[in-house]
Amino acid sequence: MLKYIISTSLFCLSFLTFAQNDSIPQDSVKYKNKYGLRVGSDLGKLARTFLEDEYTGFEINADYRLTKNIYIAGEIGNEEKTTSTDFLNSTAKGSYFKVGIDYNLYENWLDMDNMIYTGFRVGASTFTQTINSYTIYDTNAEGIWGQTTVTQPIKFSDLSAIWGELIIGIKAETLNNLYVGVNIQLKGRVSEKEPDNFENLYIPGFDRTYDSGSFGIAFGYSLSYRIPLYKKAK
Amino acid sequence: MKNKHLIYIYFLTLILFACEKDDICAEGSAVTPLLILTFYDETNPTEKKTVDNLYVVGYNSDNQIVTFASTGEETRDSILVPLRTDVNITKIGFHRDYEIDDNDTPDDTSDDIILGNEDLIDFGYTRSDVYVSRACGFIANYLDLVSNLEEDSDNWILNTEIIKENVENELEAHVKIYH
Repeated sequence: MLKYIISTSLFCLSFLTFAQNDSIPQDSVKYKNKYGLRVGSDLGKLARTFLEDEYTGFEINADYRLTKNIYIAGEIGNEEKTTSTDFLNSTAKGSYFKVGIDYNLYENWLDMDNMIYTGFRVGASTFTQTINSYTIYDTNAEGIWGQTTVTQPIKFSDLSAIWGELIIGIKAETLNNLYVGVNIQLKGRVSEKEPDNFENLYIPGFDRTYDSGSFGIAFGYSLSYRIPLYKKAK
Repeated sequence: MKNKHLIYIYFLTLILFACEKDDICAEGSAVTPLLILTFYDETNPTEKKTVDNLYVVGYNSDNQIVTFASTGEETRDSILVPLRTDVNITKIGFHRDYEIDDNDTPDDTSDDIILGNEDLIDFGYTRSDVYVSRACGFIANYLDLVSNLEEDSDNWILNTEIIKENVENELEAHVKIYH
């Protein structure tokens, strides 16, 4: 690649010396942007699947370049997560998809093709939650009657959630057409279907929920490959 | 670069999120309620009447005494007791004029005689667990409360009355005891 750049530059330079007296200076090289479909997976979710007992997840992500800086992007995935606290153990399991736009903020040099981007998504998930066990929170029982733990699982089906996301991240081309990326997703739930006498503690695709409101946060670590379709001048 | 500000705002929000304390069951959140009993005068049912040296204990499934932290002997007109969550019945012993006669041997408890009059009441209910939060999980409520005074040769308790069938909080008394 470098050889190509140097030789082209030298080649053009030689033209310049010949054309010294021309009044209009010309752009020496025209670099082209690659357009195509980029498909990948979330490495973070894969790693957690192998490392964490209480997590299983898989995500396929893709983006398609519309213009120089605008990409249409989306993710589809599946997650199972067990949340356990002192008094409660529950598992959320389900699928999700997200669609939106990524906007590249980074001005690439030469023919480099990296991204520092921001974007938004609309996400939706359908899932189930199962209360595996709980210990009745009874501050008076300790040392008197003893604590009671209920181990009969309670399953809530047909739960769902819809949310919006703001994304900021980077994608770097490490090998030809192969990209690694990191991103942060800030989320806000728009609507959700909650179980009776319980709440959605974890929503696949959204990550854990917080008591204080409908906001959430998640991180993504992607590895993706661009299938080049055509090139267009910068 | 205008977009830089956007990045800062993102990270600021991140820091705010990091301060969550959701995983600790905070004091002040809903708790499993205690049963509140108040003592009334049988001859004048609208008037509260204190019980001299009242001492209250529980009985477990093996009929062994279980002592409560805050129900030591004291003259009072109301008392709070914890109900069991493992079964749907709790047996409570109400000792009036409670006193230990140590037979002049304070160091030797084997010859102690418990003076006074103990009456037993069985409280029955249906337990219903109510979700509170991620950190606290569930608390118990006791619904459809019933009481049964065990007859003995000398009952000091004459009658009981359930005034709140559902024990869901500690805001008011659930049971009146007439004596």
